[in-house]
Order: sequence, then C-alpha cells, then structure tokens
Amino acid sequence: MGKSTKFTKEEELLLEDFSRNISKKTSLMFYLNAFFVSAVPIWLYIRIHMMELISSSPLFVVVTGASTYLLAFAYKNSKFVLKHKVAQKVEESVTKAVLKQLGDKKKAGKSEKDERVLWKKNEVADSEATTFALFYNNAMFLMLVVVGSCLMFRSFSPFYNYFFSIMVAAGVTALLSTSGSK
Amino acid sequence: MSRTSSCLTLLSLVLLSAYCSATTTEGVAAGAPDRARLLASKQVHNLYLVEGSDIVVQYSLYNIGTAPALNVQLTDPSFNSESFEIAAGQLQVKFDRIPPSANVSHVVVVRPKQFGYYNFTAAEVSYLPSEDSKDVQIGYTSEPGEGGIIPKRDFDKKFSPHYFDWVIFALMLVPVLVVPFLMWRKISSKYAISGKPLKGSKKN
Repeated sequence: MGKSTKFTKEEELLLEDFSRNISKKTSLMFYLNAFFVSAVPIWLYIRIHMMELISSSPLFVVVTGASTYLLAFAYKNSKFVLKHKVAQKVEESVTKAVLKQLGDKKKAGKSEKDERVLWKKNEVADSEATTFALFYNNAMFLMLVVVGSCLMFRSFSPFYNYFFSIMVAAGVTALLSTSGSK
Repeated sequence: MSRTSSCLTLLSLVLLSAYCSATTTEGVAAGAPDRARLLASKQVHNLYLVEGSDIVVQYSLYNIGTAPALNVQLTDPSFNSESFEIAAGQLQVKFDRIPPSANVSHVVVVRPKQFGYYNFTAAEVSYLPSEDSKDVQIGYTSEPGEGGIIPKRDFDKKFSPHYFDWVIFALMLVPVLVVPFLMWRKISSKYAISGKPLKGSKKN
C-alpha cells in the first residue's frame, strides 16, 4: 500500500506558515536591517579609533558583508523559535478577539471561525516574532561590539580591533540564535 | 734634637692651617673683586608634547655671585620657525640688572608644527659680571633633552571624551533598537496574555 503524502491546500499553507522558510519580503527586510546594523559601528571606529574611511574601506566592506550574513541568519533563526512560542501564548487572546469580531456574523461556520483564528494567530505571531527578533539580536550585537572594542580588544590596533569586535559579536549573536530557548 | 724637631713640626702645622683657612672659600678671599655669577636653567613643563598644542618653556636665572649681573641677555635659538610657532613670549629677552642672591624667570609658549622626536637644546645667557668689567660673560642654560612630540590624532584618540561622537552613535541606534522595540511592544500589549479562561469556550 502506498502512502498518501498529498496535503490539502489548508495543510500546505499551515506548513508553509510555520516552517523555517521566510518570504522574499521578510528576507529583504532582514538583510537590509542587518546591513544597517553592521554599518553603524563604522562611525565609532572612524571617530573614536581614528581609522581612515578610504584606506580602511576594503576591510569595512568585507567585515560588514560577513556580519550582514551572520545577523540575517540570526534573525531568521530567532524568528522561527519565537514564532512558535508566541503563537502558543497569544492563542487565547487572538481567539477571543476573532470571535468577538465574528460575533455579529451568526452564519459563520465553525470551520470558518477556526480558519480565521489560525490565520490571525499566524499573523500576530509572525509580526511579534519578527520585531522581537530584530530588537533582541540588534541589541545583543551592538552590546558585544561596544564591549569588544572598548574592553576586550582595546589594546589591539584599530584594524584588528574592528575585525575581531565585529566578527566575534556577529558570530556570538548567530550562535546564540541557534539556541532553542529565548 | 727631639725638642727642635717637635717645634719645627708644630710650626709647620700652624703655617699649613693658616694657609688652608686663607684659601678655603674660592674667590672670597679678602681683597678679591665682587663678581656676578649666574646659574641658568631651562625647563619644559608639559607632561605630553602634542603637535599643534602649547608647550610651556620656563627659563630661570639665579645670581649666586656677590655683584649684580648687568645687561643680562637670554637668547634661545633652538625653536626654529619651520618647526615651531611662538604662541606667547619672546625667545630673546633682556634683563638690565639681576642683584646678587636674586632670581628671575621667563616663560615662553611655543606650538610645534610637526610631530616627531625633537632635541631641546640649551639657551644662551650673556651678561656683564660687574660694573667695571668690559668682558661679556657667556653661559648656557641646562638642556631639557630629547622629547617626543606625538601626533594630535593619537592624543585625541587617547584622551578626548568624544561626547559628540557617542551622541551621534546613540541617535543611529534609534532606528535599529527603539523602533523594533516599540513595534513589538505595541503588538504584544494588544494581544496580552490573559490569565482568565474564556467564558463559554469549548475545548476540543
């Protein structure tokens, strides 16, 4: 007997919504955000550590690119983990809100209500997980950059200070995002 | 014989002590003319020598002689105009008279135009040691020695508080931290977790 692996349209949508894959729009937003966050510390190094912008531009480009990739990876992982947790937490509130909204439509069937609740829950969990993932990972990354540049790698030359501070901060942020707990 | 030799010994000791007491203080023997004698020092007061920043140089002249020093001229040719600019004071100064046991000081503020190692050499002092003297006495101050003038960017990097730079950095953090936080806060507070069970909710 062959196994039936065909999913219904609703099941496919469910799987897609709660999978690790993100839409192109979300991916673009993550990469743009990661790029901006990775570029912000350059100001510190130019003004405080007195690095030359033009002569150090190859280093800035390479390190910013690597940091952008690692931060986007961190956003994606964090969002996936948070979305499941947030979905469980807001289920009750969302159900209440949707039922209240559909209260006037007495003709709405149970399946339509369930579908509406599921869709709303997915939307809320997605938004909340995305914004929190951005905030949490940005804060972690910037804190590690400041600690690294002002304390850990203070005695290094500005070149190596920048390289190690950014790469360690981005690497640790990406590593911590793979953790299942938030 | 023994009495004669002891008398001779005693006499020679007396003569020797008289000679020593007469020549103990150099130049202060009775009848020697009064002369001025200047001791001069040159000091750099800065802890850090920084390109483009003030360096305070003090010259001190002490007259340890018994006569006033006249027509005292202090000249410092070591700060050339290519490497330094004069912020305050003069490198050539004249004192008409420095009485005995008196001292004078003179301060010059210079600004180095370049960074690097610089040898701070002695300044020249010339004076007439007495009113009757026609020969000018020439001397030199002490030498502060070699000093390193550090670039201004290195000094600022080490000591400047960079308040303005940190404020700009904080402003750049607003779109990456504050905006996501406020958006998350808005969504989470709208669908806050309610501890109370739903009324009439049916569990499947």
